Order: sequence, then structure tokens, then C-alpha cells
Amino acid sequence: MAVSNRTGVNAHPRQPVIDVIITPGLAEETLSRTRAHGRHAHDTPELTALAERRASRIRALLAIAVMGLAFLSVGGQLIRVAMKGQSQQQIAMSAPIATAFARPDIVDRNGRLLAGDIVMQSLIADPSAVLDVDEIVAKLRKVFPEVNPDRIREALADRSKKFAWLRRGMSDAEAELINHQGLPATDFRPELRRSYPLGRTAGHVLGFVDIDNKGLAGIEAYLDSREKVEPVHGPSLSARPPLRLSIDIAVQYAIEEELADSMRRYQAKAASGIVMDANTGAILAAASLPALDPGNVDERFEKTRIDRLTSGTYELGSIFKTITLAMSLDSGKVRPDSVIDVTKQLEVDGYPIRDLHPPGRPLTVGEIFLKSSNVGAALLALAEGPDNQNAFLTRLGLTTPMATEAGAVAAPSLPARWGDIETVTIAYGHGLAVAPIQFAAAGAALVNGGYKVTPTFLRDSRNADQPGTTVRHRVIRPETSRAIGEMMLANVASGAGTGTRARVPGISVGGKTGTAEIAGAGGYRDRSVISSFFAAFPMENPRYVSLVSLYEPKGTTETGGEITAGRNAAPATSRIIARIAPLLGLLAEQNAD
Amino acid sequence: MQVLTTIAVLATLLSAFALYAVNYETRGLAEDVRKREQIIDRAHRDIAILKAERAHLARPERIGEHARRLGLMPATADQFTAYPNPDPLQSPSGR
Repeated sequence: MAVSNRTGVNAHPRQPVIDVIITPGLAEETLSRTRAHGRHAHDTPELTALAERRASRIRALLAIAVMGLAFLSVGGQLIRVAMKGQSQQQIAMSAPIATAFARPDIVDRNGRLLAGDIVMQSLIADPSAVLDVDEIVAKLRKVFPEVNPDRIREALADRSKKFAWLRRGMSDAEAELINHQGLPATDFRPELRRSYPLGRTAGHVLGFVDIDNKGLAGIEAYLDSREKVEPVHGPSLSARPPLRLSIDIAVQYAIEEELADSMRRYQAKAASGIVMDANTGAILAAASLPALDPGNVDERFEKTRIDRLTSGTYELGSIFKTITLAMSLDSGKVRPDSVIDVTKQLEVDGYPIRDLHPPGRPLTVGEIFLKSSNVGAALLALAEGPDNQNAFLTRLGLTTPMATEAGAVAAPSLPARWGDIETVTIAYGHGLAVAPIQFAAAGAALVNGGYKVTPTFLRDSRNADQPGTTVRHRVIRPETSRAIGEMMLANVASGAGTGTRARVPGISVGGKTGTAEIAGAGGYRDRSVISSFFAAFPMENPRYVSLVSLYEPKGTTETGGEITAGRNAAPATSRIIARIAPLLGLLAEQNAD
Repeated sequence: MQVLTTIAVLATLLSAFALYAVNYETRGLAEDVRKREQIIDRAHRDIAILKAERAHLARPERIGEHARRLGLMPATADQFTAYPNPDPLQSPSGR
């Protein structure tokens, strides 16, 4: 512009150059005027110049505005891009996103892993893109010979679908093998799967999960009910702290192994055992054989594998006499040295009550326990009456349904009518069926000084491992508890009792035998029994209770052909306590005294 | 006027380039973070599997078998004894 100005100025040498330099506006004006003069001769020179100036201003402003807009749009675009970030193109999913659940680990009381999530590969397929189903079946069977071809064909049959599971939960190595086969129209999807590294150990307690990792039973279901699991869209592991159980896997395994050994020795169909902290109710081990592998779907529905500790109720026989005697002692009607005449004929409601080996002389209350006299227990219970018995059992929690973290315990089966004969049979453990875990809890209250115990599978539950933090609920007098403890100890240690074979060197064990006939269809099956041993140890200050039951044991040469608890459940308990005492830190303490 | 315009244009261009550079750097960082997160995720998965494998290898069933092969067995009562003289100052062994 400056150049053109000068040119204009030069074209009219009459105009002073200095003017142009100092005031370019004036020069411009002069120039326009000169030009206008030539073109529009009829206009006033001043007016023409003014219009020209305005037009050129507008042109300049327009140009600036356009440029400004252009830069603004660039800038705006930049800001937009910077703020939005890269727009990730999501590949359309051809399947509904499976909602899985991320679960925290389950560990034992010492932090050893019992169950944990791992990421595994699942093979999926797009049925609409599959050309040759046979090829897929054949290649799949090369890697997994157990694959059911019909199931695969069925999954791929509907060609309108775009998604089908072919196999869920493969290891990375297996997925690699499948990958090498080159299956068309298939893909892998990583998924969370629950793993149980210990196999069947503590399987019943842990429970199990479904294919989407949702808890269905046991502690796994507890995790779901307490909202400790998170729904996830994909294989993201739970970041929550592990759930710590009261179970000690060393004790658990020892019991499972000893129970399995006892099942073989006594040819029993099943066995169960529980070890519980007598004061806190913390369960250190709970085993039911045949055991359950939480990872094996087929085993879940096998009837023989039910958890006998919690899912079944049984008439437990003479171990109930412990409760009957506690009731009589607690009411103050008798003392351990009170003499009861058990020699007279007893008939209740037309049923004769007899002892297997009649003592032939009156017995003290303590002797009734040692000899496990049915007549004695019957007389003591009759002295209390049905109502008091019912009330006492209710106080111990034996008549109402119980639940643990691992789920509801089978409700006790009470007699429809609770008269004298029921009172008598319940006194020695028939006519009232309870789950063994429920009896163990009641039994714990009898030996721990008389406080009610709530069984728990959690180490950090409200009542576990921190006695004193909760209000302890007294159910029997401390003197009664002491007397019961002394009788249980005498039953094992004195040599005169039925539990002599439960003796453990170096440990004072107390206990009570119970051999209960199994009620079958139309009465009691001949020679089919559940033999149980309820024990507490160490008796100086009972810290643990155990209940070991053998289901339908047979007489062997080892037991002299007998099936009574004193010959099988008692020695089984002895072996279990001898084995777990060091694990519980007991043996050293005992002998150091 | 022209000088201002020129400066404005230059400034706009500069800021545009700077913004682009920052934007690309951010994307690069985001990508880097994503990769690292993937590595962390992968490591978590591996840890989970290793934990399960360790627990499986350390299961009492297997350890028990190995221990018995080495001649070890569960502790028994006769392996425990009270210290003959609980007061170390009267130790019969002397010094």
C-alpha cells in the first residue's frame, strides 16, 4: 500500500512528498481525489473521496473478519480435539456382555489361600459365520477329547445368533493349543474363574459358585449376601481384602485324613468331625466325608456328599446324656454323688426302658454318666419333666433352627408330641434329631463355664477370638459346667467309663460316647448305627470341643466285632486330638506343667 | 495495524502448533498409561495364578506325602517333655 501511495504521489509531482510520509491518510485522500476527478467528473471531489475511503475500510475489515473466523474455527477445532481426546472406535459387540462377579480371596486363619479368582480363557463362536460345524467339533476334540459333540452342535445350530459359548475356563496353555488348531469364526474371551487350590479340603465349608462366578453355597454364598463381590464386565480381579476364616487348614486336613482313615478301619459309609473353640465358637475344622470338591459341578448333586455337620439332622444317641445330666445338676435336684436306683423295672407309656448291660446295683449320677445308663438318664429326665426338658434344650439352642456364615443349618426335628416317653428317649438321644454342629455348640456351653456359644466360620466375627467384647450369655451355672467336665474327664481317664479309648497321652481329654440306632422306614434298622464321640480338651480348662461321628460303621476285628462308639468313634477322636494338639499348641503346654 | 495483525497471526499460528503439540503429547501419555495399566493388569493376573499354584503345591496333602518320604511325621506326645529344671540359673549342666 505504501508503495502504491508513493507511486501515486510520484505521478503528481505537485503534491509535497513530505505530506505523504507524515500523514499517509492525507496522501490517500489526495490520491482518491485525483482518481475520482478523472472518473466521476460530476461528483464533488470531497464526497467521492469519503465514499472511496469507507469502501476500502470495509474491504479490509471483511478480509480481517474472514481470516479471524478461519483462525477461530481452527482454534475451536483444536480445543475440541484436545478436550474430547481420541475417539476410540468401539467394535460392536456381537454378544450380550456377560455379567460376571469379581470375588475376594478366601483364606484360612493363618492367611493360607483356600479360594481365589484367576483369569482364564473362554472360547466363543459366531454361529452365523461358522461354515463347517464338524470342523470345529473335530478340532476342539483334538485338544479336549471329553468335549460333547452334540452340545457344540447344539450351540452352533441357531445361525441367526451371533454368539455362543464353546468352552469356558481354559488355561492359557489350553487356549494356545486351540489357537494352533485355527478354528474359524471363533474367538477367546478372558473370564474370571474361581479356583480352589486345595481341592476337597474344607470343600463343604467353602461352598461353590456358578459359571458366572456367583456364590451358590457355603462361604461363597455368604460373600454374595454380604455384598463383598462386585459385578464386573470383564476379567478384572477384585481388589477387596480376603475373607479370613476361622478354619485352620492344617487342622482341617489332619481331621479329614484321620476321618478317612477311620472310615476305612471301621468300614463306615460316611464320617464327620468338627473342632470348635469352646469359648468363642470359632470353628477350626469342619469336615464331612465323602468330601466335596467345590470346583467339580457333578459332585454337588451326589447325595452321599451332603455336609453331614450342617445339612443333616441325626439322633445322636447317648452323647445327649451329657445334656440330660447337665439339666438335672443345674436344676439342683441332684448332685454328682446322688444315688439313683436304676435296678428297678422302668416302663413309660407302655414302653420298657432297659440298659444294654444292667449294672445290677444303684448308681450315682456320675456313674450313670460313666456306664451310660439309659434307665438312669430316663429317671433323671422324668424327674424334671417334659416342660423343663424342652426349656433347657431351648436355652442351649437345640430346639430352634441355627445358621452359620456357611448357610442355614438343618432345623432340629422335634417330636410332634412331647410327653413322658419323648422326654425319656430324648434323655438318651433318640426322638430329637439335630445337626452335629448344633450339638457341638450346645456341648461347648456345657464345658466352657456355662456360656452360650454361637458357632462361626469367620476369624474376625463378632464373637470369635475376642472374648469379652460381647455380652456372654450364661445358660448353666459354672458349678454344673465344672461337674460335667469332671464326669467327661473321668469317662475317658478313669478306666471305668465308656470313653477310655479316647485317651491321648499328655493331654487330658474328656468325652462321652453315643451309639444311636438309625431310624429307617418302619422302625430302627438292625445294627445300623451312628456312633459319635463328643470330646473336650484340655480338661484343666477346656479350650476346644470336638464331635466325631461315624455313619453306619461295621464290626471289624479291630473293634472285636462291635459297632459301639467306644470302639470306633472314641479311638478315632483320640487319634485326631493327638494329631491336632501340637497344631493347636497344646501338647507342649500340657507337659510343661 | 499491519504489525499488530502480523503479530496476531503469528501468535495464533504458534498457539495452534503448541496446542497440537500438547494434544499429541497428551495422547502419547494416555497411550503410555494404558500400556502400563495393561502390564499391571497382566501382573495382577499372573500373581493370582501364582498364588493359586503356590497354594496348590503347598496343600497339606502333598506336603504330608513329601514329609513322610523324608521320614518326618506328625508330632506325638512322647516328643514333648517338660524342661527338667525351669530355672536356668540352677542349670545342672553348668558352664
